[in-house]
Amino acid sequence: MPLLRMENITKVFPGVVANDGVSFDLQAGEVHALVGENGAGKTTLMKILYGLYGPDKGGIFINGQETSISGPRNAIDQGIGMVHQHFMLVPVFSVLDNIILGEERESTPKLLQRLYLDKRSLRARIAELMERNHLETDLDRPVRELPVGVQQRVEILKLLFRGAEVLVFDEPTAVLTPQEIEGLSRTFRELTAQGKGIVFISHKLDEVLQVADRITVIRRGKIIETMPREGATKAKIADLMVGKPVLLKVDNPQAEPKEEVLRVEHLTAADDRGAMVLSDLSLAVHAGEIVGIAGVEGNGQTELIRTIAEREKIISGEVYLKGENITSWDVRERREAGIAHIPEDRHRYGLLLSFSLADNMVLGRHHRPPFVGPIGWRKTKAIREFARSTIAAYDIRTPGETTPAHALSGGNQQKVIIAREMSADPILLLASQPTRGVDIGATEFIYKQIVEAKLQGRAVLLVSADLDEILSLSDRVCVMYKGKIVYEVARDQATKEQIGFYMMGAEHGDDNE
Amino acid sequence: MATTTSRRETLLRLLSPVIGFFAAIVILLVIVVAVGEGPGAAIRAILRITFGNPSRTATVLSQAIPLYIAGVAVAFAFQAGVFNIGVEGQYFVGGFVAALVGIYLKLPPIIHIPLVVIAAMIGGALWAAVPALLKVGRGVHEVITTIMFNSIAIYLMNFLVNRPFNGLEVGESLEPQTKAIAETALFGRLNGFFQALGWKIGDHVYLDYSLIVALMVGVVVWIVIYKLRFGFEVRSIGEAIDVSRYAGMRVKRVQVSAFLISGGIAGLIGLQEIFAIRGFYTYQIAGGLGFDGIAIALIGLNNPLGIVFSALLFSFLRQAGYGLQLYTSVPNSVSYVITGLMIIIIVVTNELVVRYVRNLRKREVA
Ligand SMILES: Nc1ncnc2c1ncn2[C@@H]1O[C@H](COP(=O)(O)OP(=O)(O)OP(=O)(O)O)[C@@H](O)[C@H]1O
Ligand SMILES: [Mg+2]
Repeated sequence: MPLLRMENITKVFPGVVANDGVSFDLQAGEVHALVGENGAGKTTLMKILYGLYGPDKGGIFINGQETSISGPRNAIDQGIGMVHQHFMLVPVFSVLDNIILGEERESTPKLLQRLYLDKRSLRARIAELMERNHLETDLDRPVRELPVGVQQRVEILKLLFRGAEVLVFDEPTAVLTPQEIEGLSRTFRELTAQGKGIVFISHKLDEVLQVADRITVIRRGKIIETMPREGATKAKIADLMVGKPVLLKVDNPQAEPKEEVLRVEHLTAADDRGAMVLSDLSLAVHAGEIVGIAGVEGNGQTELIRTIAEREKIISGEVYLKGENITSWDVRERREAGIAHIPEDRHRYGLLLSFSLADNMVLGRHHRPPFVGPIGWRKTKAIREFARSTIAAYDIRTPGETTPAHALSGGNQQKVIIAREMSADPILLLASQPTRGVDIGATEFIYKQIVEAKLQGRAVLLVSADLDEILSLSDRVCVMYKGKIVYEVARDQATKEQIGFYMMGAEHGDDNE
Repeated sequence: MATTTSRRETLLRLLSPVIGFFAAIVILLVIVVAVGEGPGAAIRAILRITFGNPSRTATVLSQAIPLYIAGVAVAFAFQAGVFNIGVEGQYFVGGFVAALVGIYLKLPPIIHIPLVVIAAMIGGALWAAVPALLKVGRGVHEVITTIMFNSIAIYLMNFLVNRPFNGLEVGESLEPQTKAIAETALFGRLNGFFQALGWKIGDHVYLDYSLIVALMVGVVVWIVIYKLRFGFEVRSIGEAIDVSRYAGMRVKRVQVSAFLISGGIAGLIGLQEIFAIRGFYTYQIAGGLGFDGIAIALIGLNNPLGIVFSALLFSFLRQAGYGLQLYTSVPNSVSYVITGLMIIIIVVTNELVVRYVRNLRKREVA
């Protein structure tokens, strides 16, 4: 008997059937991957399981018993836990407090103990959990000081502490470094060995093939096929997802770099907590060239892009665009001068969630013709027309341009930002993790667009945690380590091994980082 | 379960004040019964004072005018993510500046009246300027500064009216006040116009020029917020500051502008009281409208159209309180309690609904 069975689930949103008669099951002790294009209905299905949406039709069975799930609290009571992509942790609380938060009452039934929280016995229980699952963390550190991978571990501990038997991971690896992904898949094995069931959603098919026992492909709300990992290949899954063959290869002709577009000189910058994140960094990007920044996340890539996109707290150094010193310019001046920016943290910087797609599509250019007329009157028709054509060009799955951005699937939200920035006719495109959370077909399309931009003579600065992405797009690769560029290599001489070596700070002799 | 989230969302948002209103009525009846009055009598009293004859209905409309302007003033700042709690002080000051222009300038009405309106806006905006600049320049939270500026305004006006601008002969009245406002600046009434349209309202009701001011404010604000690029930036900043900054918006500049505009609108709240009803300025012009404006803006969803509804609702509730006091044995103080309670209930219901909707939406973000 499966641990969990969802039968014939249908969920309709205005203008879309997000789940159309979906049946899905999960055995104890397996990792079941759910894959499909952006907007296929993966997150919706899991939100139904987690009680965030009620299904229009269909039933949920736990251990063969039909049940209904009224909300997240109820879901966890029934043994279903979800690790969100944006963690639900209190940053200033310690790991221990985060884990017991909201559960402290249940675990101390006596009245007196309700007043006095017996942290010692709770701590012992959690320590035992950590050991059994190999999820060691420092219980007393505040969560905000922990790397993303460890925070995710805390999320998992939280669910285990509450007795989760089914764990749902919706794109958990998008924010992790390769090392952290390794750690996560080890955790998966530990958990399944104890008989827990795991649902794993990802757009990275290599990962899926690595960790999944079974793979289910969903397309436009319908289940296409459920297959065992044995015999599954990347190409086969991609074909099933998209409904037509996917190339998975980029045609990227050698660049002929022309004049210099971007130059940063001796940049030194600190983050909000005063830690040095860029130290004396210099870099140039030319028209018709893609420069890729490789590096383990947190080595200053984010800040480098930010200093170019906005007026950051630069301690010293200069930023030049086409020879002009733009260090003191604000975002609007920089955008007007031709800088477009696909931000890394799209939820924080990318979209006005309650605004229409049309409004979001012109953000950054919303203040000038053709989108406004005299006296600043907004030209709704021009805005909507532009949005419609961009939605079509980028194959953004939505009922229409008046749909609010929050109603789009995660990947389609990202496509909106990418479409907006790429269509801004920039002379310099800053692309941070441009394909994160985006499906395989859209990834291919975005690659083509980036290469196209280069061929049109634009300068592109690309930051990505995905080495394959860097290697297939870049004409020149720079490796960042501790706020510096420690290695630079032309594409035809670049090897993955060499780059990986420098990413770990090899040259500095502390490769245990 | 068949309803989808966003359809439910729109429905709830529209219905929430109505739900709140009926919840409030039920509680009102409970209280009325508790103090020993019949629910039927209470309802009759309320209907009588509000819809008993055309003049009474017109009074509801008349009282809604300053409430409406107050609601729009607060809403404009809210739209930009600025919490202007200082509307109270801004209208005290705006009204004072306007009164000075009304008292000391000699002009034909066609110029004098618009000038008075402009002066009120300038006064209100000036009083908002310091908190606005402190916010963007020094990061001082506007809730603190505007509350402080409310106190300053009230006592400053108190002082000014008592001393330098006191217009009273000795022994004339106990209420300190300025000199009388010039005839040319006084707001006439539109009652004749409404009577001509067949609405049989009495001459004593104040449907004066401030109604025109309120309508103009509503229309202009609606256009600015929903049709102009500036309004788009205002709403965008109110929704997500970081996103707006990344889109190249000059967040501080827009917030300061919205703050000043909010203060400018606030300056207009006292016009009816000063220029149509009293004909002079006193620091005792109806207080508390600035705070009512916060609730009115919230219930009206910060939209100039929604605020028409919420301002009328507020005015209705006030009158209902008077009605209870007048026609039933519900004691005076209880009727105030009831009015206050109804407002709270409506605000809370509304806020609960809005929060519920927001939660639904948050969950959808993934
Ligand atoms: N709250 C909502 N309101 C309206 N439509 C929605 C809502 N949530 C999802 N949808 C729509 O339902 C469809 C499925 O969305 P879902 O988020 O399940 O996709 P997904 O498979 O998780 O995609 P991605 O890989 O991009 O995250 C999409 O077309 C989306 O636009
Ligand atoms: Mg999703």
